[in-house]
Amino acid sequence: MKRYILLALAALFVAIYLFPLYWMYVTALKSGSEIFRFPPTFWPATLHFNVADVWTRLRMDRFLTNSLIIAAGTTVIIMAVGTGCAYALARVRSIWMDVAMFTTLMMQVLPSSLMITPIFVSFNHVGLLDYPRLAVVLAQAAKLLPLYIVLCRTAFMQVPRELEEAGLVDGNSRLGAFLQIAIPLARNGILVTAVLVFLLSFGEYVYSRSLIGERALQPATVGLQSFMGPNTSDWSGVMTYSAIYVTPILFIFVLLQRRIVSGLTAGALK
Amino acid sequence: MARFIRSVRDARGLYAALVWLALGYLLVFSAFPLVYNIVISLQTVDLFSLASFDRPFVGLQNYRDVLSDPVAGTVLWNTIRFVVLSLVFQLAIGFGLALFFQQDFPGATYLRGLFLAGWIMPALVVGAVWSWILAGDFGVLNYVLRTLGITERNIFWLSDPDVSLYSVIIANIWLGIPFNMILLSVGLAAIPRDIYEAAELDGAGAWQRFFTITLPLMRAPLGAVVSLGTIFTLQQFDLFAALTQGGPSNASNVAQYWSWQLSFQTYQISYGSVVSVLMIVFVVAVAAVYTRSTRHEQSY
Repeated sequence: MKRYILLALAALFVAIYLFPLYWMYVTALKSGSEIFRFPPTFWPATLHFNVADVWTRLRMDRFLTNSLIIAAGTTVIIMAVGTGCAYALARVRSIWMDVAMFTTLMMQVLPSSLMITPIFVSFNHVGLLDYPRLAVVLAQAAKLLPLYIVLCRTAFMQVPRELEEAGLVDGNSRLGAFLQIAIPLARNGILVTAVLVFLLSFGEYVYSRSLIGERALQPATVGLQSFMGPNTSDWSGVMTYSAIYVTPILFIFVLLQRRIVSGLTAGALK
Repeated sequence: MARFIRSVRDARGLYAALVWLALGYLLVFSAFPLVYNIVISLQTVDLFSLASFDRPFVGLQNYRDVLSDPVAGTVLWNTIRFVVLSLVFQLAIGFGLALFFQQDFPGATYLRGLFLAGWIMPALVVGAVWSWILAGDFGVLNYVLRTLGITERNIFWLSDPDVSLYSVIIANIWLGIPFNMILLSVGLAAIPRDIYEAAELDGAGAWQRFFTITLPLMRAPLGAVVSLGTIFTLQQFDLFAALTQGGPSNASNVAQYWSWQLSFQTYQISYGSVVSVLMIVFVVAVAAVYTRSTRHEQSY
């Protein structure tokens, strides 16, 4: 019996915590006048779907495409550059690897909003600001690369060394052992981390806001911020926009919840 | 070339090449801006001198200008309040929830994982949702507070200079709870059950067990959460952009937002980089202490 009381309490805590999410969806489904009713209604009196309207009126297709490009570019660069490093850090123990690991960890904590000033000035020197989305991808990849390395390193550490050594005895090269034995065996951990990097970049804001001036190239976060303004009254539009934006993120999260949680907890405390 | 290829094929060469690939990327895109930041902070950089390499060197004058700006004091005090209050409440609520979900009941792990939904959302969207919840006239939080009899009239969370910082803190606590809870859960799970059983046999009550077993054994995870929480709180930018933009008149401005405003809204880029240099020194110091302390405890 006690276990079910605890379960009910737990469900209550989750409900209170997730109320902001619920409120976003409910507001998105209310009609314009019902939104400003006081006291507020906790369930829409009349369901009002304005997804299609918001999608076209606020040009969400363009914003979300840009977000996808930035997230995909960041993920590709990080996977290409970081996977091998994570592997090497998992396999070799030496003072140099400790230094490399320490440097990586230090790079992870630099806040984007503080790094953007020198990044802006130096990207301006080399002309990268003419390719603003590429500039954001390069900066964001530097921001998340350490996280990827740390989490993938734990994935590689779970692959038994003996399997690679058996491969080496069978005539495989070191590089072959890495590509054909270690990567396939650590595949799940690598993919979950990549998804995490993708989702985090999909919501990137500071770099995009500062480096992308042209409206047509901005991602969904910058678009949302510009619609809100200090005196917005179009809460229906803002909440519908938010709902469209985060629903795919939440969907992927629920699918991969267990793996993301275990990956994070394994990596974060190391 | 052949020697290079041979060295990549043997173990040490391969590992070194793999590490240098990532480290090289970080050196170009993180370490170089980090150093260049210091250079900028010693020069006069604005929109006119932005593109030229030959900028006037002014030494520490920028630092004197920024620190004597009356806004600096407000921003510093706000930053301290923002970090301390966010940390205290994230930690208290996160620890409470971690202890609760540690108990044995059906679905505990799954329900606990649902909290991370808040963590994965883009912070800007979280800010948008909270600015609607906190809205003065039609916000649902004001309705709840008035119905419960806690306040008599509507609080203008975002436009009242006395409370605008707290509105960002509330949203930031919400964002930080899941991370605190999950990390502390891992720490709690690592405490052996039999210690509790032995204490119970010796007649220790629930409170006694908490203060004599749980808290001392949780020292390392709690330390980790405090330092990581400080780092993440100082990274928070999106919530300020979505909720108050540092206003009204800097009442809710903090260092990381002020630095961005100086660089990208008033284009006093060298001032922006001064604030940035000072804050980065602080963040890196916290991170270095944290990394060293974890290194002593676990050998990986």
